[in-house]
Amino acid sequence: MPLTNSESGENHASASQHVEDPVFLNSLREAKIIISIWALAMVYTCTYCYLYGYESHPSDPAAVGPAVSSWVGPLESFDRDPTTLTTPFGLGIPDWVFYGVVAPWIACLLATFVFCLFVFKEDELGDDEELAPAASEGGSSDD
Amino acid sequence: MIETSPTTMVVFLLYILGVFVLAGLSHKLLSKKSFLSEYFLGSRGLGTWTLAFTFAATSASGGSFGGYPSLIYSHGWILALWIASYMMVPLCTMGIMGKRINQVARKSNAITIPDVLRDRFESPAIGIIASLTIVFFTVCFLVAQFKLGALIIEDTFNLTFSLAYEISLVIFAVVVVFYTSYGGFRAVVWTDVMQGIVMGIGVLVLIPIVMAKTGGLENATKTLAQRDPIAITNVPSPDGAKGTHNDLAFQATGEIHPAGVIYRRPEQPNAPLSIVWQADQPEDAYVEITMASDSTGDAISTGNDVKQAIEEHSELSSILDVILPYKNDKIEIVDGEKVSRGATGVIGFPGETTEYKYVMLYGHELVFGPGRNNTGKPFHTLGMVISFFVFWAITGMAQPSTMVRLIAFKDSKTLNRAIMTVTVYFGMIYLPIIAIIIAARTVLPVLAPEDSDRAIVLVATRLVADMGIWYQILGAIFIAAPFAAVMSTVDSMLLLISSCAVRDIYQRSIDPDVSQRRVKIISYSTTAIAGILITIAALKPPDFLQLLIVFGTGGLAASFLFPTLLGIFWKDMTRQGALAAMIGGFCTTTSLFAPTMFGGSRLDILGLHPNLWGLIVSMTLGVVVSKMTGPAPEHLVRRYFYK
Repeated sequence: MPLTNSESGENHASASQHVEDPVFLNSLREAKIIISIWALAMVYTCTYCYLYGYESHPSDPAAVGPAVSSWVGPLESFDRDPTTLTTPFGLGIPDWVFYGVVAPWIACLLATFVFCLFVFKEDELGDDEELAPAASEGGSSDD
Repeated sequence: MIETSPTTMVVFLLYILGVFVLAGLSHKLLSKKSFLSEYFLGSRGLGTWTLAFTFAATSASGGSFGGYPSLIYSHGWILALWIASYMMVPLCTMGIMGKRINQVARKSNAITIPDVLRDRFESPAIGIIASLTIVFFTVCFLVAQFKLGALIIEDTFNLTFSLAYEISLVIFAVVVVFYTSYGGFRAVVWTDVMQGIVMGIGVLVLIPIVMAKTGGLENATKTLAQRDPIAITNVPSPDGAKGTHNDLAFQATGEIHPAGVIYRRPEQPNAPLSIVWQADQPEDAYVEITMASDSTGDAISTGNDVKQAIEEHSELSSILDVILPYKNDKIEIVDGEKVSRGATGVIGFPGETTEYKYVMLYGHELVFGPGRNNTGKPFHTLGMVISFFVFWAITGMAQPSTMVRLIAFKDSKTLNRAIMTVTVYFGMIYLPIIAIIIAARTVLPVLAPEDSDRAIVLVATRLVADMGIWYQILGAIFIAAPFAAVMSTVDSMLLLISSCAVRDIYQRSIDPDVSQRRVKIISYSTTAIAGILITIAALKPPDFLQLLIVFGTGGLAASFLFPTLLGIFWKDMTRQGALAAMIGGFCTTTSLFAPTMFGGSRLDILGLHPNLWGLIVSMTLGVVVSKMTGPAPEHLVRRYFYK
């Protein structure tokens, strides 16, 4: 897993006498948390919608992509047809979209706020030399 | 048909004027600050609102206002799953790399993404390859966007004369290229803020109006699920052009539904038009229509001929309604009166084509997955569900136009607030657009595939045209919304191309001592030249907008994600590893897409999208090659990973 830095610290033994950059460490930690939330959202939404929102679950990979039915057995009992369509709370949104997309969307919105307010570290990002008045752009004539 | 009101046109023009004013103001700032970093980066001073809106407007591209509504129109509710990854897009695309890439860019004084990569790995080769890759894919992307911009102008001003598209395209190009090249990054960002607000308001106001005028979403969804099946044809004329008054829509109205329609090339000269249909096996019986031919054997039947033949057919006339899709009715002015001529275009079979097959799509296929396209292939298979969830949130993170905004913000706090703002904003836009289009389908005309790009524009222009003056002003805002989306994407992409050319290729590789004055001239002219070349390409644009966008977006991201992500988070990444990851991602994606260029279909190995394979190959190569060529130079590790 390339995103960890534990073993690579030893590879650069002479560098380790310096303190590791806190922005790097905080960003890495935050990146891992975000990826986990995303992975969770993906597993839930894709599974739920595929199971409950599809009219057919064929086991032919050429037609449908990964042949899930061939690993977990036939999924025909999940096949939908128009007679089973419901629209929760009278919103006009098909049931599978409501529970498979709208609901997790709201959950992710909340998770984003929790992340920004309580997890995210407001690090100092450093100065920018180039944008200081003495620009290093090699400009001789300036109008 | 209801036409766009004059009020709408006036507000639309005022809006374009506003864009010019912003460009003028930001041009003034240019003369006060260091030219390059101001022109391409706004002097790294984006605040919360500017970052949020420029970010949202850029990534919410013409795709969301052209291709996305068009796909909703064609495939229905499955698009909710297609777009679902946007629930995580703000957090992923800004949160994962934002702070760190901004810091790395500051450490190396980078003002473009190729700059960041070149300095992080101390490799001019990486800088140049990155720049060339960006230019290549961005051009693909922009052609599609220019087409959409031109269509919006054509539609808004009801231009129906013969060169309407070409003239609209030139107007669009002049507007965008002028304000982008004149105003630079800050002009782009300011117009993004204006446009972002316009888009948001547009969608929010459109919801109640559409619901009121169409009988609501509940009704629309249920009606859609029960709808009679329709086959919409999308045939080219003899010269290969599409959308030239030869498309028809066949709606099955009886108890028996044909499986679809097949058009056949005539087999001998002077043949009459013939229809064959095996009514005794209706489940898989297509209506087979063989065209009439002239003395040389070429097809000569028009859409009108086919329509008439079906209507005169003993069995089909009672079970098939033939409808002219939107804009497929040729209108001629005779003695000052508008006269409808119908589908007058000849159905051609250019090249080796011998038949076209279109399936009947049932209403319930627009309410459940996976949906089908009009040739009968399933639309959103499980492999695509997975691919798109990765695509928007993860691949989206590595869009160069996205990343350049991440190196332009002021401080961490700005980023944090912007993530929350964009999250709310996307939530307000993406799902409601589905509701708007689904509800509006009930009142929109039937759209042929090449016209479905107009779905959102039609909703905005037609639904409010007969309402009071205030509604018309609001209507104008909706029209500006898709236009705004396209413009804000186009301007930042154009700037991306010229920043690559000027900074990465010219200044850093050809002439490091170039004077400020010369840099200015080169910057303005590359932006303008790029605009002109893209306009020429967009004169004969490719068939389907979204495919191109997905191609461009995916190709770029597959090249940049892992070089950048591993570069900023993994100490052991070497320059060889970065190069391998970049080239590997690019080659994998493009070669899996390549068959589409020769009339085939792209290769979805295991049902997964080429972009996903591009990412997988890119990551593997990045890690393996870095391990093989390591250790990474110590001074770089110390510079970028230690205090």
